This record gives sequence, structure tokens and C-alpha cells, in this order.
Amino acid sequence: MTNIAVSSVITGREDRDAGTEKDVHIGTRGLDLYYGEAHVLKSVSFDMYRSSVTAFIGPSGCGKSSFIRCVNRMNDFIAGARVTGELLVDGDDIYAPGTDVIALRRRVGMVFQKPNPFPMSIYDNIAYGPRLFGVTDKDQLDDIVRRSLEWAALWEEVQDKLGSSGTGLSGGQQQRLCIARAIATEPEILLMDEPTSALDPLSTARIEELIRDLKKDFTVVIVTHNMQQAARISDYTAFFLMGELIEYGKTSKIFTAPDEARTGDYITGRFG
Amino acid sequence: MTSYSDNERKKLKKNSSELPSGSVSGKPGRRVTSALGVWDARIVTLISAVCILVMAFILYFLISESLPVLKATSLQDLLFGMDWYPQEEPPALGMAPLIVGTFIVSLLSCVLGIPASLAIALFIAEIAPRRVRNFLKPVLELLGFLPSIVFGFLGMTLIAPWLQQEFGVLTGLNVLTASFLLGVMMIPTVGSLADEALCAVPDELRAASYALGATRWETLSRVVLPAAAPGILSASLLGIMRSAGETMVVLMAAGGAAIIPRSLMGPVRPLTSAIAAEMGETPVGSEHYHALFFAGFVLLILTLIVNLAAERIERSRRFR
Repeated sequence: MTNIAVSSVITGREDRDAGTEKDVHIGTRGLDLYYGEAHVLKSVSFDMYRSSVTAFIGPSGCGKSSFIRCVNRMNDFIAGARVTGELLVDGDDIYAPGTDVIALRRRVGMVFQKPNPFPMSIYDNIAYGPRLFGVTDKDQLDDIVRRSLEWAALWEEVQDKLGSSGTGLSGGQQQRLCIARAIATEPEILLMDEPTSALDPLSTARIEELIRDLKKDFTVVIVTHNMQQAARISDYTAFFLMGELIEYGKTSKIFTAPDEARTGDYITGRFG
Repeated sequence: MTSYSDNERKKLKKNSSELPSGSVSGKPGRRVTSALGVWDARIVTLISAVCILVMAFILYFLISESLPVLKATSLQDLLFGMDWYPQEEPPALGMAPLIVGTFIVSLLSCVLGIPASLAIALFIAEIAPRRVRNFLKPVLELLGFLPSIVFGFLGMTLIAPWLQQEFGVLTGLNVLTASFLLGVMMIPTVGSLADEALCAVPDELRAASYALGATRWETLSRVVLPAAAPGILSASLLGIMRSAGETMVVLMAAGGAAIIPRSLMGPVRPLTSAIAAEMGETPVGSEHYHALFFAGFVLLILTLIVNLAAERIERSRRFR
């Protein structure tokens, strides 16, 4: 609870009200990220709230994807990646020495830009995560598979072919399968890196609808290049430019009356 | 398309530009190009026809030279007969010991060679840092160019005497020595093909697995290996084929006795070494001569089966 007080002081501005209503799930304090010599994120400090959808917008290469890859420490795989500052999940610094990265990734699910189902059956795709946890009971796994697919609004379409390959589905179905796979382990946070950029408008609409439903159970952080999408689905919006967090606040405010001229210019398409 | 010279190309361009605009522009140029295309296609067809014809003649020659043996010996005696005494009068031409020899040596070499190849491929593809990989991969491929006679020589001069001295076996030139050498020989081929199969597994799959909280080992064993399995399997079958067809190593190191061995320390005479050793000694047109061609035909059938299996697996991977 002390975090909330701290966060509202740091984020300042219009979020002071929101910060006291909701509790902080992910917070950063002066987060810097380097890829070798490149300074990718520059002293980023803000808070994301539980059971909300936060959208990251900004031109390509502004650091928004790199940021969400910090939250589940997927940047660890990039040679030369270095993080300074604090990134708090539920108040714990996940870059503190001795952090259990495997346990962290089980709390923070991720959906990638390109649908990437494993070349195995639909069932095995969903059961992959739970099996890693050590769930072996067939009934329990059946349950998890069904619930996850229902959650991801895919059950109706695939219930008769759970044994067929996940790679045989359409692009939109594959992405929902990946969402189902990510939520099968019941993470607290769901990171989505441009989840609809490779999909047609219909599949995109389905997934947007899904994201609005998911925020009841998860804290969703989504990177998007689509301004309308950010406006439609998110509660909070963060605007990044050249590795800096330019503006962060309620989506309604960012899209109607941004404090920064650059934010308004980007949203109205004057650059980027 | 064709590779005509710059001059010709200029001429073509000129021709078409000289046409009055409004007419079917560029048509003469196109006709010339398509004529050249047809001529090209004819040359390619001719070359491939010659290649196929040569292959067909080899097959025809092999079959026609091997069939006469059936006049003297029945197919059953040939394939299942236990005695291979081709110099006797009348010759005993039972190939069972030779066929069994080929089977044992190639299977045992795979048992020894494939796990080693896989271990090396896994290390190079998944575990070694980039710098080590960039060094090891070319070295591995280079090893594949070692002539087989070098392996045979190593077997004869190093391994066989060592086996005889340390284990007191009757002869160091036996199933185990030959299989070991063949196993080592297949490592470069099978290892680098398996490495390619592992590298062909998209990184997105690894990322998905790690993001779900899998460890490196879990990712490797549950996602990467199954995804690469068809490629690894067809690499292994290629290794089997290479072992079955290898001649020099078995000729030098397998012992050469046409008997079914009682143990791994017994000598054998696989089909290939029988052909290589005996073809020069036998009169053209004799039963023995034809029997050796028949041995070659049997070998062809064996490798064909393995090859078809490999192709089938490859196809199942593409359709997945």
C-alpha cells in the first residue's frame, strides 16, 4: 500500500486520483536499458495499475517493445542488454540479484507479435505451461485446456479438433491459441507485443474484444501501432519517443487533451 | 531466362523501340526471347535426358549382369544360403553371411555414431557460444572430407592391435572395430545435418517457451527437439545409408570372414567388401561374377528402402 503513495508522487499530474483508487501492479523507478552502446530506455518512471489495460504507443524503435520485454526479463537473452534502475512487480524489484526469473515468467505471460504456436496439437499447446508446473492429472489438464480456450474465445471453433496441429489454424485463431496458452498458467500480468499487427480486421476485432474481457482477471500491457486500437481498448496510455516516456495518463485524457504537444502531434499523425 | 550478351540485349531493345508506337509494341523482341528460351529449355532437357539415360543404363547393366546367377542358384539359396565359397567347384553362393554382415555393421555403427552426432549437434546448435560455434561447425564439416581409407588405416594400425592386446580377442579386425570407425565417419555428415535441423527451428518457438517459464533444458527437450525431430531422423537415415554403402573401411577393418559372427569381436564380410575384394579375381561371365553383381543389386535395394523412408519423413515434415 505504501507503493501507491510513492507512485502518485512520482507519476504526478492527473494520475493522482487514479493512483489512489487502484493499486499499482507494475512500477518503474528510473529504468534505463542499454543494448551494448545503444541507450534504449532513458530513465523511465511510471506505474501501471492492476486489472487495467495500459497501451504503449510511439514510433518504431522508440523502446516500447523493449520495455515490455523488461517486465518478463526476455531481454536477458539479448547479448549486451543491461538494465539499471528499478522495475517493481507487486513491489518487488525483479532485477534485484537472486530474483527467480523462471518464477517471474510464470507470473507474467506474453503474447508475441507473430502468432507462434508450437508445432504440436492444440491441446498440447495449452497444456505446455501447466505441465511445466508439474500438472500431470488428465482431468485437471482437460479442465485447464477447456477453460483457457473459452477464455480466449476459441473453444467453440476448436473443441472438436483439440488433437490436430496448432499450426494448422488460421492466423487469427493461432493468435487466440497463443493467448490461451499464455493465460493457461494464470499469470497476473499479460504482456502483448503488437498482437494484432499480423491479423486481418475481423480477427483484430475479436482479439480486441477479448482483451477488454481479459482485464477483469489480468493486468494487460499492450504495445500497438494502431492509435484507434489504443483508444478503443486501453484505460491508460503511455507515449514513448526515442526511449523516453513523454506522457502517461488516462487514455481519454491523452487522446483528447494531451499535455505535451508532441503527444498530440503523434496521435493526430503529424509525425511517426 | 537466357543469358544473351549486352549487345544482343541492346539490339532487342532497339528493335522494339523502332516499332511505330501504337502497334503491338515489343512483339518481335518477345518472340526472339521466347525462341531463345525454347532453345535453352531444349539444352537443359537434353542434358538431363543424358543423365537419366546414364542412370538407367547403370541400373540395366546391374540387373542384366546379376540375373544370370539365378540360372545356377535359386533366389532362395542366394539370399538365405549360409555358405559363401565362390571359388569352389561348383561355387557355393549363399549371401546370408554377407547381408547379415552389412546389417550388423551398419546398425551397430548407427548405435555408436548417431547419439554422438546428436550430442555434437546439440552442443554446436544450442549450447556453444557463437564464437565456439563459428569455429566448430567448419571443423566438423572439414572432418567429413577425410578419405575413408584414412579411417581404415587407423583401424588397422591403432584400434585392432590395441583390442587384441588389451582384450585378448582373436582378431582386432572385427564387427566392433569396423562399426566404431563407421560410427566416427558418420559424425560429420549426421552431426552437421542435425545441427541444421536444430537451427531451422524458429527462435519464436524458443521465445514462447521461455516466456511461459520454461528452463533452457525444458525448452530444448519439449519444444526444440520435437520440432527438429523429422530433420534429425532423416539425417540419421542418411547416416545408415552411408554406413551400408561404405566399402574401404569394412574391407580393411571388418576382418573379411564370410560367416555370421557369434559376437561383436567376430570378423564379418559385408556385401561391399565382398564385391571390392572379389571382383578383380573372378573370370568375367562366371557364376561368381554374376553373383557379385547380384550383391550390388541387393545393396541398391537396401539403400533404396532407406532413401524412400527418409524422403517420406521429409515429406511428412513439410506438410505439418
